[in-house]
Amino acid sequence: MQDLLYFIQQLINGLTIGSTYALIAIGYTMVYGIIGMINFAHGEIYMIGAYTALITITGLTALGIVWLPLILIVALICAMIVSSSMGWAVERVAYRPVRGKHRLIPLISAIGMSIFLQNYVHLAQGSSNIGFPALVEGGFRFGPEDSFQTSISYMQIMIFAVTLVCMTVLSLFISRSRIGRACRAVSQDLGMANLLGIDTNRIISATFVIGAALAAVAGLLLGMYYGSIDPLFGFIAGLKAFTAAVLGGIGSIPGAMLGGLILGVAESMTSGYLSGEYKDVVSFSLLILILLFKPTGLLGKPEVEKI
Amino acid sequence: MKTSIKKIVTAVGATTALMAAGQAAAEIRIGIAGPMTGPVAQYGDMQFSGARMAIEQINANGGVMGEELVAVEYDDVCDPKQAVTVANSMVNEGVRFVIGHLCSSSTQPASDIYEDEGILMITPASTSPEITERGYELVFRTIGLDSMQGPVAANHLASLNPERVAIIHDKQQYGEGIATAVRDTLTDAGVEVAMFEGITAGDKDFSSLVTKLKQADVDYVYYGGYHPELGLILRQADQAGLDATFMGPEGVGNKDINSIAGDAAEGLLVTLPPSFDQKEENQDLVQAFEDKGEDPSGPFVLTSYAAVQLVAEGIEEAGSKDPFDVAEALRAGTFQTPIGTVEYNQAGDMESFEFVVYEWHSDGSKTPVN
Repeated sequence: MQDLLYFIQQLINGLTIGSTYALIAIGYTMVYGIIGMINFAHGEIYMIGAYTALITITGLTALGIVWLPLILIVALICAMIVSSSMGWAVERVAYRPVRGKHRLIPLISAIGMSIFLQNYVHLAQGSSNIGFPALVEGGFRFGPEDSFQTSISYMQIMIFAVTLVCMTVLSLFISRSRIGRACRAVSQDLGMANLLGIDTNRIISATFVIGAALAAVAGLLLGMYYGSIDPLFGFIAGLKAFTAAVLGGIGSIPGAMLGGLILGVAESMTSGYLSGEYKDVVSFSLLILILLFKPTGLLGKPEVEKI
Repeated sequence: MKTSIKKIVTAVGATTALMAAGQAAAEIRIGIAGPMTGPVAQYGDMQFSGARMAIEQINANGGVMGEELVAVEYDDVCDPKQAVTVANSMVNEGVRFVIGHLCSSSTQPASDIYEDEGILMITPASTSPEITERGYELVFRTIGLDSMQGPVAANHLASLNPERVAIIHDKQQYGEGIATAVRDTLTDAGVEVAMFEGITAGDKDFSSLVTKLKQADVDYVYYGGYHPELGLILRQADQAGLDATFMGPEGVGNKDINSIAGDAAEGLLVTLPPSFDQKEENQDLVQAFEDKGEDPSGPFVLTSYAAVQLVAEGIEEAGSKDPFDVAEALRAGTFQTPIGTVEYNQAGDMESFEFVVYEWHSDGSKTPVN
């Protein structure tokens, strides 16, 4: 019984982390799906989202607003707006001028962008860890009173719910809306879409903006869940999310979700049953294995040679 | 090819030496190296504030052998790679005396360079025993060792009659070193160490670790490392309903842990150097800090002050600005500093250094436990 409760607890921990990896991974996977490039500045956009949310929360609290849903919604909207404009700006500054050049050039310019954003926040907000106020507290407990209890906090439930909603809305958006259809057209053949009258520049900007907005959601959620943020925390989260995107099949949105969840659960099971020291070893070994044996990822389509 | 590189190196070395000689005639340059930025910059602030105050006061009293002390400050971000760059910059600047570094993992690689280049180094904060274990001539400290601090913590834990203790560390030289010292002492005392595990510094998600601690049903957790990670562990443990008392070394005793952990920081046990700022004989000095709007209560403020003072008195005592002569004078003499009487052994460690167990409160204050 105890072992089962323990297993369930680690599963919950892993799925929580996995959901947020998935939210960040969307940004990688959409940009890759459309222009075939990896946006290495995405982790920083997530970090900026978290900072914006924190600044908004602090500001609202200082103004004397205490109604929690209002605080969360305003923080979320502000974070999404700031992150989206960052995503848009990154595309304009670091991608559009070098699009169509050798593949390595946008890669390097994105890494440059990532270093710039990291250091910008470093200068503007200071380098130390800033505590994030615990707004959503409490949760449910299961199991016997006197020994190990499985707990699921409201925060964890909120993370699942928000991720699920975001993913559903995004899937519907891609499959039903005009812009979504245009996105799919651009991802199939950029040149042809252009000839058919789709404003491809706008569509590419839109993917950056959508990815950044979801990263901002993850920033707010994770900031509250963990409890502190610093200018460097986007980097490792970005790497993990990128791993999740590749694991699920880069370019595939359900793949990003699946990849994120698998990675999250793998990490928490490793720390739970082996040792926390091997957490990153396992997650990056997964990346290597998937690249060796199924380079297109779990749900990725094999690249068809275009004639 | 090899010889030409050698020539260049020699030429650069000679130029540097000449520059150094030119500068040394007018003033004595004191290097201060520690984190001004990065996750543990708060400790760096303590170090810089203490060292600057000492330099200011010594200069106000006529300097050292009639020469003025000049601070040369560098930021090592508590990063071993950056520390090496900083150490090389110190060499290039012609600095002969360095106060630093702060993190043991930075101090160790930097001290290799200082020893090779004939620079005297006093670290006001690094507690890893390895730093002074290598038989270096020019490496000193104004703080105790993990091998002293660990047992203080472990003995306190043992006196609380714990059923099961978990020990967590951040896999860095400082954190793992002190965690190992605690484990060894606890095992000798017959206390069951249920868990000994590392985490990754900079990590934010400790939910799995907390679950594991809950499962292991521990009543005390010792954490070897710094406050950013422990703050998060405390907070996440509190949310998950883990009922255990945490303890950490001086690297966690910082008001920033309260901003991260909030109320969960209440009751945390911390081993710290004694509050030197509470001592009767230091009240004038404390006043001087307060007049400047600085806080002298941090654990490394007065150790840094003492380090600068030791360099100054070492130079006076030796009657020479040669770091080797100064090192000899430091080993031979007895010095009265704000951190008490300092006597050095051959390794460069203080003959005695006391650590005290404090209980930390959620408002950032602390009360001594014993």
